[in-house]
Amino acid sequence: MKRALIFAKRNMTELLRDPLSYIFCLGFPIVMLAVMTLVNESIPAESSMTLFRIDNLYGGIVIFGQFFIMLSVSLRVASDRRSAFLIRLFATPMKPFDFTAGYVLPMTLTCVMQTLVSFCAAYVIAAITGYSLPVGGMLLSLAVSALSGVFFVSLGFIAGTLLSDHAAPAFCSILISVGSFLGCIWFDGDSAGGVLLTLCRVLPFYYCTKAVRAAVALDLTPSAFFVPLAVIAGSAAVTLAVAVAAFHAKMRSDSN
Amino acid sequence: MLNEEYAVHCLGLTKKFGSKVAVDSLDLQIEPGTLFSLLGVNGAGKTTTIRMLSSLILPSGGCAMIHGHDCVKEPDAVKRLVGVSPQTTAVSPRMTVFENLVFMEELYGADKKTAQRNANEAAERYGMTEYLHSPSKILSGGQSRMLSVAMAMAGGPKVLFLDEPTLGIDVIARRRLWKVINDLKGKITIILTTHYMEEAEELSDRIGIMIDGRLRACGTLAELETQTGLKGLEPVFIKISEGSL
Ligand SMILES: Nc1ncnc2c1ncn2[C@@H]1O[C@H](COP(=O)(O)OP(=O)(O)OP(=O)(O)O)[C@@H](O)[C@H]1O
Ligand SMILES: [Mg+2]
Repeated sequence: MKRALIFAKRNMTELLRDPLSYIFCLGFPIVMLAVMTLVNESIPAESSMTLFRIDNLYGGIVIFGQFFIMLSVSLRVASDRRSAFLIRLFATPMKPFDFTAGYVLPMTLTCVMQTLVSFCAAYVIAAITGYSLPVGGMLLSLAVSALSGVFFVSLGFIAGTLLSDHAAPAFCSILISVGSFLGCIWFDGDSAGGVLLTLCRVLPFYYCTKAVRAAVALDLTPSAFFVPLAVIAGSAAVTLAVAVAAFHAKMRSDSN
Repeated sequence: MLNEEYAVHCLGLTKKFGSKVAVDSLDLQIEPGTLFSLLGVNGAGKTTTIRMLSSLILPSGGCAMIHGHDCVKEPDAVKRLVGVSPQTTAVSPRMTVFENLVFMEELYGADKKTAQRNANEAAERYGMTEYLHSPSKILSGGQSRMLSVAMAMAGGPKVLFLDEPTLGIDVIARRRLWKVINDLKGKITIILTTHYMEEAEELSDRIGIMIDGRLRACGTLAELETQTGLKGLEPVFIKISEGSL
């Protein structure tokens, strides 16, 4: 565990000094929130379409942002794996768990920071558009985003471990398209219903968006909040375990 | 029988990449405290040997032990004993020289204070104080090479592998590194590869010469000179490598 923390500190340092991570992780949600709010403003009020209203939009952008963190994790891990530095670390007493946790910890922290930025941006936007957001709900959404962050970061880690630095971002882009659609970020799955909703409910992404939106609305009913939260926790645990196993397998096969 | 008195002990150590035999039935015993130079032309199998001995890659056959610990069966024990300076410079780009050194020290179990003190001492020893707090990616080739080598000494390894440590390092820094290596002689075991004959001559207790994955000659410089009837390492090396022995 100690080595995992030491490596996490190293990764955090690298991350904080990389200008790209600010654009990716912090600038991105602000731009998305602003643009989609403008879109929302042009939707006629009679249509009663509330998906892009700031409270719902915020929940969607928090998860959409994590999709992009997943992409950047995969890229970082895949290119690090080829770097002399990481290969050199294989000759130290570091274990597969240390490597995995060393990436997952700082990147999950980045997810929470990203949510915090979205939180602030959403607050400003809400004030401008004359909508009020419950602070308690926003704080709760931070906690949810930490949990879903572990899931997304582990997913990116798995892609970066098993795929090359060309294939990993490509794979993650597909996952972003499919996942953000089936995650109900851009449409209201619950009112759509039918086969589409069933499809959404098969994958964890839907529950991520749902839990964050429920947290913001302080709708703490089991079906809106706790069940999705349990699904996220389960998915996070499984992907994290798979991530460690994948890294272990890769370390082995690379040594042949 | 493998003997745990040896710092490094290989028996029939072999590595194949597909049909290419990179290291071919290598038998080698290195006593603790020895500086052993592994020489050979490009592609002779030096780096592959080091990678097997530091548990980075698995042998295709034979076995290797570091202080009695099997490189295949006990990689964790081996990794705690060895330090590696790989042929390719390996540093964390956005961390400073100091942070890189502290990171390695901490990885080998030093607490923060000890790690920082050791990092400062290392910087002094390797002449890196001037750029101690520069990000390593802005260093010159030789400067980052020096850092990469210094990082191999973190945690006080019992067996140190230096794969072409002085590659791209200027004369003055090279002499400084030689002094560091000479100071370590007798205390720890060092396996060094280099293409500079005067370097091997200056530092080695014993010398091994590899050709096409096989160890063709092994002994002190004096012994190799007697075998070939030549004087000086360079002519000895050329004669053995050209296969005229
Ligand atoms: N991963 C690999 N896959 C296939 N072949 C390899 C691999 N690594 C090394 N080889 C081959 O094994 C042989 C020995 O390579 P090695 O790197 O050990 O040589 P070396 O003695 O270190 O050479 P140099 O002085 O150029 O560093 C070479 O022919 C090389 O092409
Ligand atoms: Mg080599």
